[in-house]
Amino acid sequence: MTKLLDVKNLNVDFRTPLGRVHALRDINFSITKGKIVGIVGESGSGKSTIIWTITQLLAKNAIVKSGVANFNGMDLLKADNDTIRGIRGEKISMVFQDPMTSQSPVLTYAQQMNDIMYRKNELSSQEKREKAIAMMRRVGIPDPESRIDQYPHQFSGGMRQRAGIAMSMLVEPSLLIADEPTTALDVTMEAQIIHLIRELQKETDTTIMVVSHNLGLIAELCDEVIIMYAGEILETGKIEEIYSNPSHPYTQALLACDPARESKKTRTLSVIPGDIPDSHIKPKGCVFASRCELAVQHCRTEKPENYRISRSNHLAKCHLLDPKKPLPKPQSNFKKIPKTKISSERFSHKDKEKLLKVNNIRVQFPIMTKLKAKLKGINDPYVDAVFNASLSLERGETLGLVGESGSGKTTLGRAILGLVRTKSGSAEYNGRDLCQLNSREFKPLRRNMAMMFQDPVGSLSPRQTVRSLMVEPFKIHGIEKNYDEEAKRLCETVRLPENFLSRYPHELSGGQARRVGVARALALNPEFIIADEPTAGLDVSVQGEILNLMNDLQDEHGIAYLVISHNLPVVRHISDKLAIMYLGRLIETGDSANIFEKPAHPYTEALVNGIPQPDPKKRRKLLSIEGEIPSLTSRPLGCEFHPRCKYVQKKCKFDPPSIKTLSDGREVLCHFPLQT
Amino acid sequence: MWSYLLKRILLSVLIVFLAILALFITLHSIPGDPISIALGPRATPEIQAEYAARMHLDKPLYHQFVIFIGNVLKGDLGNDLFSNRSVLLILSEQLPYTIVLAVTAIGWSALIGIPLGCLSAVKPNSLLDKITGIVSVGTIAIPSFLVSIWAILIFSVGLKWLPVIGAGEPGDFGDQIYHLILPAFAVGLGWVGYLARMVRASMLEVMSENYIRSANAFGLKSRTIIFKYALKVAILPTITLIGVGFGALLSGTVFAEIIFSRPGIGKIIYNMVLARNFPVIQGAVLITIGMYVIVTLIADLAVSWLDPRVRDTL
Repeated sequence: MTKLLDVKNLNVDFRTPLGRVHALRDINFSITKGKIVGIVGESGSGKSTIIWTITQLLAKNAIVKSGVANFNGMDLLKADNDTIRGIRGEKISMVFQDPMTSQSPVLTYAQQMNDIMYRKNELSSQEKREKAIAMMRRVGIPDPESRIDQYPHQFSGGMRQRAGIAMSMLVEPSLLIADEPTTALDVTMEAQIIHLIRELQKETDTTIMVVSHNLGLIAELCDEVIIMYAGEILETGKIEEIYSNPSHPYTQALLACDPARESKKTRTLSVIPGDIPDSHIKPKGCVFASRCELAVQHCRTEKPENYRISRSNHLAKCHLLDPKKPLPKPQSNFKKIPKTKISSERFSHKDKEKLLKVNNIRVQFPIMTKLKAKLKGINDPYVDAVFNASLSLERGETLGLVGESGSGKTTLGRAILGLVRTKSGSAEYNGRDLCQLNSREFKPLRRNMAMMFQDPVGSLSPRQTVRSLMVEPFKIHGIEKNYDEEAKRLCETVRLPENFLSRYPHELSGGQARRVGVARALALNPEFIIADEPTAGLDVSVQGEILNLMNDLQDEHGIAYLVISHNLPVVRHISDKLAIMYLGRLIETGDSANIFEKPAHPYTEALVNGIPQPDPKKRRKLLSIEGEIPSLTSRPLGCEFHPRCKYVQKKCKFDPPSIKTLSDGREVLCHFPLQT
Repeated sequence: MWSYLLKRILLSVLIVFLAILALFITLHSIPGDPISIALGPRATPEIQAEYAARMHLDKPLYHQFVIFIGNVLKGDLGNDLFSNRSVLLILSEQLPYTIVLAVTAIGWSALIGIPLGCLSAVKPNSLLDKITGIVSVGTIAIPSFLVSIWAILIFSVGLKWLPVIGAGEPGDFGDQIYHLILPAFAVGLGWVGYLARMVRASMLEVMSENYIRSANAFGLKSRTIIFKYALKVAILPTITLIGVGFGALLSGTVFAEIIFSRPGIGKIIYNMVLARNFPVIQGAVLITIGMYVIVTLIADLAVSWLDPRVRDTL
C-alpha cells in the first residue's frame, strides 16, 4: 500500500478583478499505487484545479499559497520547469474532457503520437510508429495502420477519445489523470470508454485519478472516492463505503439528487437548495453549512475536523460526526421530500385531447453543394436526418425524445417548430398542419408554443437584463401589458428573486439562467413547450430544481412538453411517453415506464443498460453495446441497427423491419422484439 | 477540391470582368473628349472623324465595350498615345521590377514580423512584447515615403553605404540587389508591424486552446509546441493577410518607385496620369487587378490546403 501521490495542506488562490478567489483550501489526500481514485464535485468545487496544480499547468493568475504534492519522493509543486516537463507525459499523463478541442486539429495522430514519444531516443521512428499503431489497436480503433495518418476531425467522438487514451498510455505513465473522460460522449460510448479504462488499468497496473461530476461513472470505475465541495474535501473513502454509508450531509444529498439512482419513476426529484457559496470569502465554519438541512449554530462558526467513520480510511468533515459531542447521527431527510402528486391522478381529469400529431415527417440535408454533386455525378446529394417519424402528444403530457448525438432528435424538434423545411409528412397542431405554413402564418401560432434552448446562458442575449429578456416575448408578438407586473409574475413562477430582474446573463449561475429561459418560454402561457436538453450543463443538485419546476408548471397550467435529451435518467423522471431515435428513425415509442421496465428494441435495451448506476455493487461485467452509430451517408442494409445488435439474425441483415405494435400499445421497429 | 477550385476561378474571372466594366464606365464618365485630348485642340473635324472611326469611338458605348473586352482577351491593351508602342510590351517591361520589389519587401517583413509576433505572444507583457508593440504601431504609422527619405538620408547620403536611385545595371544581378535593399526596406517596414501584430493576436488565441494545454501536459518542448502546434494554426489568417498585402503592394510601391527612381507599375501609372496617357493607365490598372485577384486566390487556396479540416470539406 505505497502512496504514489501524497498531497498535503494545499491552498490555491486565483487573482481576479473582483478580489482573490480561494479556489482550494486545506486539501489533503493521497493516492495509493495501483488504485483508481475518483474526485467528485460539482462545478466550482475545485476538482480540476487540483489536477492543474499538481502538474503546474495552472492559469497565470493562480497562486499556490502553501502545500506539498509528494510524487515518488519528489515535491511536484517545487519542481522547476524542466523537471516538471520531464514528469509530464513521462510519469504523469492525461486524458482530457473534450477530445475534439484537446487534440491538435492540424497534425495527424501519427505526428502527435510521435511527438509524445520524443524522449524515447532508443526507438527508431519506425518503431515509434509501430508502437503507436499497436496502442491504437489496443484501445479498439479499427484499421490503425491507415487511420493513424488521419486527423482528429476524421474520427468520431468515441474514436477520438479512444485515441486520446492511446496517446496518454503510450508513455506508460505511473499516474494517469482522466479529466471528465466521458462527459463529451454519448451513453453507449461512455460505457465503452469506462470498460476500456478498467481493462487497461488491470493490464498495466497504472494508478488512475479520475475527475468527474458523474456519480455513475465514478461508481463504475473507481476504488476510492474524494468528495469535493466549494474548494474543500468533505469526505474520502473506499467507493463501497461512501456509496453505501455516505456520512457527510453533502455526500448524502448529492447521491440522492442523481436521477439514475431512483429506478422508479418519481415525479419529484431531490435537490440541494441554495447556491454554492462565494469563494471570495473564506468560510468561518463548515463550507456546506449554508445549504445543509442539518446545520446547527456550531456549524457556521467553527471549522469541522475530519472524523474517521470506519476502521479503514473513510473520513468525513462534519461536526455532526464528532464522537465527543453526542449529536444525532446525520441521517439526512433529503430523500424524503414529499411527493405531492401521484402520476396516475394527474391525467385522470384530462380529456386526453390530441395536441400534436406528427405523421411521417422526413427531413433531408444536402451533404454537398449542387455543383460538386454534378461534377461527381451524384443525382441525390442528400441524407435523411429524420426518416418518416410519427409521434403524438396530448395536452398536459410529456414526451421524451431520446437518442445519441446525430440521431436526428433535435432536427425533428426543429422541424415541428417550422425551423427546418420538411421534405414530406405533416405535423398537425390543433388541426393545422405546421409543415405547410409559411413564417407569417406561423407567427401567431408561436404564441402557443415555445422553445427552451440547449445552452442556458448562451441562448440569452448578453446585453439584455433579465427583465427585458423576460418581457421580450410580449414585445415580439406586440402584446401591450404592464411589463413590470409581467416580469414580476414570471419571476415568481420560476422562483427567481425579484432583484434578479436588473441582472445580466453573465451574472447568473447555470441554474438561474435556465430559470430565465423557462420564464421566457412561459411568458405567453403556451400550451406546448419543446425543451432541448433542458438540464445539459447543469449540476446534479440544480437539475432537479429545473425538472421539478417544469413538472409543477405542467400541473398548474397543463403544458405539454416535448423533451429532447440524450440523458435517459432525466427523461425517465419527467416523461409519460418515450420515443427512441436511431439514425433518424423512431425505433421504439410508447409508455415511458413500460419501455424502461421491459425494453422491446435491442437498442433501447442497450441504452437502458448503458446508464452507469451510482452503485458500485451494480458494476457491469459486459458491455451492453458495441460499435458506433453508422454514418447517415452509408446506412446499413436491412435493419439499420443490425451491425450493433447482439440478437442479430439472418433476416435482420437483408429485410428492413416494419413497425410492430405490442400488446401494451408500444410501437417497435424490429423483426424480433424482446417483448410481445 | 476540384469543384472548389473551379468555383473560385470562375469567381475570379467574374471579378476581373466587373473590374473592367467599372474601369470602362469610369473612364467614359470623366469629362473631356478623348479625341481632342489625343489629337490636340487644333485637329480638323476630318482628322477627328477619321481618328474616331479608327478607334471605334463613333460606335455606341456597349459596342465599344465588346470590342474592348475582345481586345483584352486577345492580349491587346492598345498603344501608347505618344510613342505608339504596345501597352502590353511597356507594362511587361515594368512589371518584373514591381514584382521583385513587392516580393522582397513582403518577404523580409514576414521573416522578421512573424517570429517577432510569435515571441511576443509566447511571453505576453514581457519587455520584448512591449517593445514589439511600440515598434509595430510606429512602423505602421510612419508613411513609407517618409521612411524612404530618411533611409536615403541615413544610409546613402550620411553613411554612403547604398545607392540612392535607379534599379541597377540590367544583367548585373549583384548591382540590382544592391539597388533593391533600400526600397525594399522602406516598403516592407510597415508590414513588419502589421504582421507582428496579426501573428501576435492569433498566436495568443491559439496558445489558450485546449490542445496547447494538452501538448504541455504531455511535456513537449516549448519549441515544438510554439512552432509545430501553435504557429501552424495561427499562421493561417496571416497568410491571407500576406496575399492581400502583396496585391496591395503591386500598386502601392508607387512612392518608393518615385523616390528611388525605380521603374515599375506604380511609377508608370503616376507618369501616365500626369501625361493623361489613358491606354497605358487602363492597361496598368487591368494588370494590377488581374495580379491582385490571382494572388488572393493563391493565398486562399494555400490557407484551405494547409488546414486539414477545411481541406476535407472542399
